[in-house]
Amino acid sequence: MTDAFRILSDDEVRQIALIIESLDRSTFDFLQLEFGDVKLTIGKGQPPPLTGTAPLVPTASPPVVPQMPSDSVAAPAAPSQPVAASPMAGGQSDDTIAIVAPLLGRFYAQPEPGAPPFVAIGSQVTEATTVGLIEVMKTFNAVSAGVSGVITEICVQEAQIVEYGQVLFRVRPIGKP
Amino acid sequence: MTITRVLIANRGEIAVRIIRACEALGIETVLAVSEADRDSLPARLAHRTICIGPASASASYLNIGAIVTAALGTESDAVHPGYGFLAESYELAKACADEGITFVGPSAAQIRQMGNKLEARALAKKCGLPMLSGSDKVETAGQASDVAARISLPVMLKAAAGGGGRGMKIVTNQEEMPQIFASAAAEARAAFGDDTLYLERFIANARHIEVQLLGDRFGNVIHLGERDCSLQRRHQKVVEEAPAPAITDALRDKIRQAAVTLGRNIGYENAGTVEFIVDQDTGAFFFLEMNTRIQVEHPVTEAITGIDLVQEQFRIANGERLGILQQDVTFRGHAIECRINAELPNEHFRPNPGRITTFVF
Repeated sequence: MTDAFRILSDDEVRQIALIIESLDRSTFDFLQLEFGDVKLTIGKGQPPPLTGTAPLVPTASPPVVPQMPSDSVAAPAAPSQPVAASPMAGGQSDDTIAIVAPLLGRFYAQPEPGAPPFVAIGSQVTEATTVGLIEVMKTFNAVSAGVSGVITEICVQEAQIVEYGQVLFRVRPIGKP
Repeated sequence: MTITRVLIANRGEIAVRIIRACEALGIETVLAVSEADRDSLPARLAHRTICIGPASASASYLNIGAIVTAALGTESDAVHPGYGFLAESYELAKACADEGITFVGPSAAQIRQMGNKLEARALAKKCGLPMLSGSDKVETAGQASDVAARISLPVMLKAAAGGGGRGMKIVTNQEEMPQIFASAAAEARAAFGDDTLYLERFIANARHIEVQLLGDRFGNVIHLGERDCSLQRRHQKVVEEAPAPAITDALRDKIRQAAVTLGRNIGYENAGTVEFIVDQDTGAFFFLEMNTRIQVEHPVTEAITGIDLVQEQFRIANGERLGILQQDVTFRGHAIECRINAELPNEHFRPNPGRITTFVF
């Protein structure tokens, strides 16, 4: 066991463990990762015939998909990925902009239980649009989009604790195809 | 050990220290980090980190809501506040208690009791500890002058909400009292949100001697000896050593007993330190204040007693009976801690480490 993990830093091993946890909680069955020379496939049952290295794009209800860099994970000097993606980074090779949590707290996607969520994939937002609430000790803080565009990805689940700087949504800015 | 996971609400050296104790006890560690500390040494040692805010301390390490929410969100049983930041925050201790999170430290009530220096003085006096002649609250410069005349100058004007060497000003003659009183009150209001002041006699040839206490929830309180922290810079300790080198054994014993008396009287829980002033001219000692937290210099006590104070903090927080009797505490050798401060002499000695290009150890 130690031999196989010698090429990975302690931090990377820890991140993998967190990914496994997230996978378990999500609606996905498999996750295939490649970083550097290491290819890691995690899942249950028969792996589907996957090519490429990008993580699966969610089509079902918003799961907890940690933002993975599709190229090699940098040396342990940059351990803040993947579960807590670096704030404000565009991240992916597409041109989406991340909406990040301006504070730590419990994220709520809807204004109150039973109400429709503030936004969904495909929703148009402006900078002032409220995209969710973050609750800290019973105080609710509205999260503004801070960017104009269309929601392309929902990166958090209802009632999930989010860190400061954690990616909540991805937005394709207006004007881009 | 009922505590299985702890949120460490601090950074740097003390965060590493707490993680080490947790490793020995088999407690999982979640480190609360600000943006700036995501890649710190303790962050790499903890089982997990959670980013509680931006680099600014007020939005992160001083953010009670974020810390408590982070503890709840990570299903941590306990919060260890370290020292500084919110280690002596009544509000944090209370918020933890309200949410069913174990605060690794004394109760919120004890923190508040000792946090107000006037209240602490009254309590110490009630316990029969020797006190510096001084006053209760002084509302005006005039009152302060009256007290100063009675106890004789020089005097130390202190903020009731201060402590830790902060919010203190020496007054050497009556002429300067009104001006010093006004600025002391203003600074106290700005720094502590409370401009209550009181006076104490100022001892010029003094030693700062403090006693480490451990108390459990069953009323057991023991001391682990004293430390001498007389060498200070701007009222901040620079050198700490144990045992205290310049006091007689008779005095040493009296000081230790006085600390235990106070601790027992208030049923003190967890780790704490009772501070005293020793007048080297007369050999008399006086109660100064009590710190209801683990302190920076705790390792010198650990070095000469062989007792791991942070581990004991967790055991006590877990509701365990103190496993150490007073007679079990023995002292061997001498330990000295030196704090290295990096300052810019041309900028009023502003703290600044500059860029470290070589380090030889």
